[in-house]
Amino acid sequence: MSLAATASAIRAEMAKTIRIYFSYPIIVVFWAIFPVLWVFPFLFQGKALVGSYSSSAFQQLTGSGNYMAFILIGAMVSNFVFSGLWGVGNSLREETYWGTMEYIIASPTHPLVVLIGKTLAEASVTTCIVALQATIISLLPFGISFTVAKVLPVLLLVVLLMVGFYGFAIAFAGFTLLIKEVHGWVHTLEWVFFLFSPIRYPVQVNFITEFVSKLIPLTWALVAIRGIILLNQRDVGLWRITGILLAMDAVLLVAGYFTFVALERKTRRDGTVGMH
Amino acid sequence: MIKGSSERENGESGAGPLDHSATWPLLFRLRHYANAVWAENIKEWKLELTYPLDFLRSLIDPVVYLLPYVLYGIALVGGRFSPNLQKLVGTTDIVSFITIGYIFIGFMNMALWAMGFSLRKEQMYGTLEPVFAAPVPRWVFTMGMSMHSILHQFLMIVAQLIFILAVFSLKVNPLGLLPSLAMIGLMLVALYGIGMIMASTTLLFKQGWLISEALGSLLMVVTPIAYPLAVLPVFMQKVALAVPTTYGILTARHFLLGEQMGFSVLTAFVRVAILCVIWVVFGLVVFTVIDKSTRRSGTLSHY
Repeated sequence: MSLAATASAIRAEMAKTIRIYFSYPIIVVFWAIFPVLWVFPFLFQGKALVGSYSSSAFQQLTGSGNYMAFILIGAMVSNFVFSGLWGVGNSLREETYWGTMEYIIASPTHPLVVLIGKTLAEASVTTCIVALQATIISLLPFGISFTVAKVLPVLLLVVLLMVGFYGFAIAFAGFTLLIKEVHGWVHTLEWVFFLFSPIRYPVQVNFITEFVSKLIPLTWALVAIRGIILLNQRDVGLWRITGILLAMDAVLLVAGYFTFVALERKTRRDGTVGMH
Repeated sequence: MIKGSSERENGESGAGPLDHSATWPLLFRLRHYANAVWAENIKEWKLELTYPLDFLRSLIDPVVYLLPYVLYGIALVGGRFSPNLQKLVGTTDIVSFITIGYIFIGFMNMALWAMGFSLRKEQMYGTLEPVFAAPVPRWVFTMGMSMHSILHQFLMIVAQLIFILAVFSLKVNPLGLLPSLAMIGLMLVALYGIGMIMASTTLLFKQGWLISEALGSLLMVVTPIAYPLAVLPVFMQKVALAVPTTYGILTARHFLLGEQMGFSVLTAFVRVAILCVIWVVFGLVVFTVIDKSTRRSGTLSHY
C-alpha cells in the first residue's frame, strides 16, 4: 500500500471510531466526569485517617502534604493510559463482537494501520476530555493551578508517555486476538497500574511497589508532572526523565509492533480469528 | 393470530408464552424455578471455566484491587494505626478496617455487573431471544446469574483474606463471624432487587456497562468502605442509609472490629429487612415495566 493510501485508511478508521464514539454521547460525558468522581473515596479516606486536608507523613514521601491535589493529578494523567488500554487494547475484541473482525483481517489494509487509526482517534478524544477536566479542577479550591510555563513541559511529558503506552496497547490488541476474552485482563492491567505506579498513592511507601514502579513509564511521567504542577519545581530533572521516557518509548514501540505482528500471524495460521 | 386475554396477560407478566408453570401447585412451581436457577448457574460456571486463565485472574483481582487503598492509608498515616480513626469510630487498625469494608465491594459488583450486565452479555452472544422465550419468568434467569456471582464472590473473598492474613495479620473477633454472615445474607436479598433494576436498564439503554459503572462509582463514594459515615457530607450520609451495603459493612466491622455504628444492631437488621422489601419490590416492578415496554416497542434485539 502506498503512503497516501495508508494515510487515507488511517483517516477513515479515525472517522469511524469517532463516529461510533459519538453515537453514544453519554459515554463522552461519562469519561469527562467519572474519573474525577473516582477520586472522592480517596479524599474521604484521607479525611477519616488524618483528620485534615494535609498529611505530614504524606509530605515526607512526596514533598507535598496536599494529598487531594496528588490524587487529582494522578486521575487526570492516568486517563490517557486507561483510555488507551480500553480504546486500543480492547478494540479488536470489540470488532469481534460487532461481527466486523473478519472484514478487517480480509481487507488489503494491515490491521496495524487500522489500530493506528483507532489510537489517534482515542488520543484526540482523551486529550479533549482531560483538557476539560483540568479546566474544571483548576477553578476549584484543590491547590492546583496551570500556567503556560507549567503546561508546556507537562504536554511534552504526556506525549512521551503516550507514545510508549500506545506501543504497549498495540501489543495488547494482538494478545486479544489470541486469548479472545480480555475484558477481565484489561481490568486487571488497569489495577496493576493503580498498584505499581503513583496514580493514587506514593509507591515509595513499600519497597516492592517502589522497585516495580520504576519499570513503568507512567511513574516517571507522574513524578515529573507533579513536581512541575504541585511543587513549582523548575528543575525536576526534566531532561533526564525525557531521556528515560524516550528510551522506554523505543523499547515499547518496537516490542509492541513485533508482538502484534507475531500474534496476528499465529492467529491467522491457527484459523482462530473468527472464534469467540 | 390474536391472543386471548389470559395468554396476553401471561406473556406480559414476565413469563414467556410457553410458561405453563403459573397454573402449577406452588411446590412444583418452586422446584421448576429452582431447577432453572441451578441450570443458569451451571451454564455461567461452564462459560467461565472455558477461559481458565481468566478465572485464575479473577481470583487474584481482589487482592490487586484492595492493596492501593491499604497502601494509600499507610502513606497518609505513616503507619498501620490512625489516632483520628480511633476518635471517629473507636478502632485504630486501618488495614483491618479497610479490608473488611472492601470485601463488600464484591457484593455490590454482583448486583451491578453480574446481574446488570447479564442481559447485555446474552445479547452479545446472540442468545437473548432464546433466553426470553424460555418457559420461566425472567427474574428466575437473573437469579441464576446472581447465584453464580455469589458463589464466585465467596471464592474471591477467600483469596483476598488468605493474602491479607499472610501479609498483614488481620485482627478480628471470631465470634462476630456468624452474625456478620447473617447480615450478608439479608443484604444479598436487597442487592438482588438493585440487580433487577440494573438488568432492566440494559434492555432500555443497551450500553448497560455505562449505567453499572456510573451507579457503581456513585455507590463507591457514599458507601463507607474505607472511611466511616461521619466524614461524608450530610446529604451523602442520608443517601448511604438507603444502600444495603452500608449496613453490611458497618455491622460486619462492628461485630469483627468493634466499630461504633451510631445505631443499634437491631436497628441495622430492621432497616436492611425494610430495604430488602423496598428494593426487591421496586426491582421487580421496574423490570416488568421495562421488559413489557421493550417488547411492545420491538427493540429487544436492538444494539
